[in-house]
Amino acid sequence: MSDVLGALMGPGAFFDDHTFRMAFFGTAVIGLVAGALGSFAYLRKQSLISDVISHSALPGTLGAFLLAVVVLEVDGRNMAVLMLGAVVAGTLAVGLAQYVTRATKLSIDAAMAITLSLFFGAGMLLMRIISNGAYPGKGGIQDYLFGNASVITKADLIASISVGTAALVLMVVFWKEITLRTFDPDHSTVLGFHARAIDALMFITIVIAIVIGVKAVGLVLMVAFVVTPPSAARQWTRTLPAMVVLSGIIGGLGSGLGAYLSIAVGGVPTGPLIVLTLFAFLVLSLLLAPGRSLITRARGRTRHRRILLRQLVAEREAHIEPQGSTTLPGAGQS
Amino acid sequence: MSFLLGATLVAVTMAMACALPGVFVVLRKNSMLVDGIGHAVLPGIVIGYAITQDLGSPWLILGAALAGLVVVLGNEYLTRTGLLAGDSPQGLVFPALFSIGVIMVTADFANIHLDTHAVLVGDLNLASFQQLTIEAPGRSPNLDLGPVYLYVMLAVLLVNVAFLAAFYRQLKLTTFDPQFARTLGIRSGALNTGFMFLVSITVTAAFNGAGAILVIALIVAPPATAYLLTDRLPVMIGLTVGIAGAGAVGGFWAAYAANAATSAGMSVFYGVVFLLVLAATRAARARRRRSSLQRTTGTRPTTPEQALIG
Repeated sequence: MSDVLGALMGPGAFFDDHTFRMAFFGTAVIGLVAGALGSFAYLRKQSLISDVISHSALPGTLGAFLLAVVVLEVDGRNMAVLMLGAVVAGTLAVGLAQYVTRATKLSIDAAMAITLSLFFGAGMLLMRIISNGAYPGKGGIQDYLFGNASVITKADLIASISVGTAALVLMVVFWKEITLRTFDPDHSTVLGFHARAIDALMFITIVIAIVIGVKAVGLVLMVAFVVTPPSAARQWTRTLPAMVVLSGIIGGLGSGLGAYLSIAVGGVPTGPLIVLTLFAFLVLSLLLAPGRSLITRARGRTRHRRILLRQLVAEREAHIEPQGSTTLPGAGQS
Repeated sequence: MSFLLGATLVAVTMAMACALPGVFVVLRKNSMLVDGIGHAVLPGIVIGYAITQDLGSPWLILGAALAGLVVVLGNEYLTRTGLLAGDSPQGLVFPALFSIGVIMVTADFANIHLDTHAVLVGDLNLASFQQLTIEAPGRSPNLDLGPVYLYVMLAVLLVNVAFLAAFYRQLKLTTFDPQFARTLGIRSGALNTGFMFLVSITVTAAFNGAGAILVIALIVAPPATAYLLTDRLPVMIGLTVGIAGAGAVGGFWAAYAANAATSAGMSVFYGVVFLLVLAATRAARARRRRSSLQRTTGTRPTTPEQALIG
């Protein structure tokens, strides 16, 4: 495969270019962190909360930008400020969706849909205000919608790595609590763990994973980074640690490969191509993973059909021969 | 017809056309599927535009709605394999389709000049710009019948009303008691596919005016708000239509007065209405519970402090 791509652009030339290097490593870090932490959202059967979080990152980021420029009068592009705003808004959105589900008879999907449209609508209002006003450093604000991997700077990369590492460390430190809460919530409560605190902690790590990706990948496609790698990894693994590790690897590799392809082919936006690469990983996993894949199952089904058919034929022959007639069983009864 | 009146009418018609099927979308717990459909119609719209060269063509709407149906059927297929947990199948298909759409748009496939920004947000005012005029004999200005888009949404509204009227009983049964519906011989799979195709058509038609994200607010928020207020389906449908219409007028004029983006303003307006109703119903329930507690225990708060504790 790399031979074909080599004709387009060799890996050597690719990694010599600063922008390409940043795009590759930046998206790989995003994919790795989102893939690993997305495993928990997947196992909690709330993968789509990631879509709510990524959409609510928009008002968070833009609100923080306005706050920084207008009130604090600092540089609006300060990565830490923007990330903090996005994390706060994302956490608020998760909290609102969970609260609506708890307080009403609405199901979580309706709560998510309302939260998503409310926060995203607010974000679009803020975006209109910012693009109409004369704010210093407002360039690149549009990138949050569809993402732009070619604007990842070294500072961005360092910020993603450090914040992403912090989220992963949180996950490892509270591994036991999060795992127990994921697989046996009642037991976890009986043992005295504070359910809501653990939930909040777990969702904050997911919020962080999403926030570091939104600018490079775009808020619409971020959901694929959180949902696809765990779904693919789950097909190959049976234990939680293996799933988290593999999911992180698939996310990181898929994102890097997608970024490489988009640049090597040229003119193709990075985020969408990464999503398609991850989707290809998923399809391969569904088809090929040993034991439970679609192909294994289809072969098992045909084998069982053949065995059953042979049995039926044998039974029927045994049934027919003594009587010497070909009447169907039960046909002679009245 | 003045432009403002025309745009307001479009907003109201669009809101009602979306909210009606939304009642069953919310009750069937398919709300986030609408989010998926809203994004997945993008490649359908691009391909449809390549064929028809007209963004308002009914054929384009039907074709793009098929792309939305891919999400529904893909979700059902992936769920049925049993290989994936929870709601993840819903989140797997639509980003891939949306990606294909974005790639087609950026590659300038079919020379489609879709502003990718407008895809997400839509522009009600722009959608209402093209006026339907009829040359009336004997009148110097042509007879102005309002925006063309108004009639597109009106047609969708009528189709939705007709479908719900025709399949009301079946939809109700499959929603609340799927097993009983199956024993009665209702083909729930076909009904669900047909219903979601209708939702997909509605989403595609509303896409022009509302964008991929506001569509979710239009479909989910009014029924969800109505569901907070009632347990009865007919009442819920009535309330939904009322909330959708009032919210459209309120949201549209609030956005107009504040000179804000129309569809985003409406989206936030619906969300805020939902939160206000939620807060009001919670407060009312808390008060009812407190007073019934007082009745049963016979205690009556005498001092403000006690009243606070009670």
